[in-house]
Amino acid sequence: MTREFALTAAWMAAALALSPPAAAQQGDAVVAQARASGFLGEQADGFLGFAPGAQISADLRGRVGQINIRRRAVYTSRASERNVTVNEMAAAVACEIFATRIAVGERYRDEAGQWRQRTASQAVSTPSFCAP
Amino acid sequence: MRAHLLTAGLGAVMLTAGCIPVQIQAPDEPIEINLNINIRQEVIVRLERDARELLEQNSDLF
Repeated sequence: MTREFALTAAWMAAALALSPPAAAQQGDAVVAQARASGFLGEQADGFLGFAPGAQISADLRGRVGQINIRRRAVYTSRASERNVTVNEMAAAVACEIFATRIAVGERYRDEAGQWRQRTASQAVSTPSFCAP
Repeated sequence: MRAHLLTAGLGAVMLTAGCIPVQIQAPDEPIEINLNINIRQEVIVRLERDARELLEQNSDLF
């Protein structure tokens, strides 16, 4: 009886430990797909944003909101360590993202608020505040 | 009350000194200090390493 209970408990613990990554992976796929379709993109302010005309499910909106909240938390803690503003830390990360993380076909929003698309022939135009 | 006394005092001083108050004209447009962009760029350069680190450490967010 107690052994059975212990076994069940162990299974439940294992299931609990395993389920979050699986769910997170599914969520990643939803976000990745939205990026690939051009509905969602990186912005020069260091956050994700929805392109005009985007088809946004409640699920996607929630996930992107969560990512942006967690990004802000990351920017805020590093900004206070370095004695800079949150916006400056976010902008510095945006420079890095624009330089390395925007794939061909993906859309992004420049510092003027304009949505653009990276094409095979046209490189990402990095914000003017980034290091040359 | 106190302000009145002060004004009266000032008037008396001006009268005795015999001078006319000089009006200094403010410039039409406010003086702009354009250091903002430079400071910002310098900060961003300084944060380059931190930015790279944040991207690597939080691969689920970027």
